Formats: sequence, C-alpha cells, structure tokens
Amino acid sequence: MSPWRSVLSRLPRPALVRVRGRSMWPTYREGDVLLVIAGAPPRAGRAAVVRLPRDGAGRARPLSVKRLTRPDPERPGHWWVGSDNSVEGVSSLDVGTLTSEDVVAVVACRVRRGLG
Amino acid sequence: MLSLFRITDVSAHCDLPCGVYDPAQARIEAESIKAIIAKVADNPDPDFRMRATIIKEQRSELVKHHLWVLWTDYFKAPHFEKYPQLHTLFNEATKLAGAAGTKGEFDAGKADELLGKIDEIARVFAETKAA
Repeated sequence: MSPWRSVLSRLPRPALVRVRGRSMWPTYREGDVLLVIAGAPPRAGRAAVVRLPRDGAGRARPLSVKRLTRPDPERPGHWWVGSDNSVEGVSSLDVGTLTSEDVVAVVACRVRRGLG
Repeated sequence: MLSLFRITDVSAHCDLPCGVYDPAQARIEAESIKAIIAKVADNPDPDFRMRATIIKEQRSELVKHHLWVLWTDYFKAPHFEKYPQLHTLFNEATKLAGAAGTKGEFDAGKADELLGKIDEIARVFAETKAA
C-alpha cells in the first residue's frame, strides 16, 4: 500500500449503511439508510457504527449501530454504548466499553426511511 | 469496508446473542400443557376450567416461541443440510402447539405428540452440540 493510500484511508469519508433490527427504535427502524462518516472522531450522544467484541461462544458479532452514551470515566479513550430501544439490544452492560478504534463511523443523518 | 457506493447492513438487533439455547424450555411448557389437560379432566369448576384454558393458550404460545428461537437462531444452514427433516419437524411441532393442537383443544394425545416432536428436536440438538 502506498503511503498516500494509508493516509487517505484514515481521513474521514462518507459511507452508507442500512439498519437491520429494532434496537435503535424509535430513532432508526428496520431498513433505514443512514449517511455515516467513517473515521470521524466519536462524540458523546451521537449514533455510531461500532465493532462489538466477540460473544461468549467466540463468534463475531456483526457491525452494529449503537448510541455512544458517554466516555468511560475509568478507561480514557473508551466509549460506553447503548441502544435507543430500552427493552432491546446489546449495551456496554453486556459487552463493556469500546475503544475509539472500534467506533468505525459516526452517523450524520438518515437519508431514507425504512418501510419496516 | 464502509463505502458511499455500496450500502452495508449494520445490525440493530434485539437479541443479545448469548448463545444459550436448550429445547428443555419448550419441553417444560409442553409438560405444563399436558398437566393442565389432565387437571381439567378431573375438575368441573367453570372458573378453574376458564383459567386452565387461558393458561394453556399462553403455554402453547410459549412452546411455539421457544421452538421458533431454536429454529431461527440456534440452527444454522449446515444443520438443515445434515438434518433435512428439521424444517418439517419444527413445522409439525409448532402446529401441534397451535389452534389445531394444544392451544385450541383439550386433547392429551396432542400434548403427547407435541412432547414427542420436541424430543426429536432435542435429539438433533444434542447431536449438533456433541459435533
């Protein structure tokens, strides 16, 4: 990889994602398409695309959309994540806080409302 | 890799994929149903029978729920290839817990059939766990 490419890959850049599931309801629902900024710095209160740690059986969890609730007071550079839907979804209560590197992108806005 | 030109699915799933599954959940509910049917047969009290009917419907719904969780969340494509009877088994079992089965009727035979299907599913489950 050329040095330019590695620099470019770290610059914030737009991307599109589609929401699957109900854990961010009512903010986002099944099928919503979101414009996200990959590589943007995480900020408390924003929704973000995150990499979750593997589950108890060692299986990878899918790339997920979560709310960055607040920075972890005990581990600088880590983020507490949660779901907008209070009755459903994985949170940092289950998986611990995430490093900034695991915050892959920050949600900018919704570009299409899902039908679900 | 996220891209502006290809929409990537991101999960907002309700499940905490805890990985804990067991057909015993469905079996316990099905045993409740069988016991309710037996108790109703010996009890003419209309209030008791009304309560039994309601609870039996709820337990039947729970059987279906637990079986569906196994069907959709636990069993994966390779399991269905190896055990081609699984889809039919789940279909028959959940039907037996439905309106034409334990939910709608007071038929101990249907409850036994349901328990039999759950046991068949449990055998496949145990084999996949051992594999």
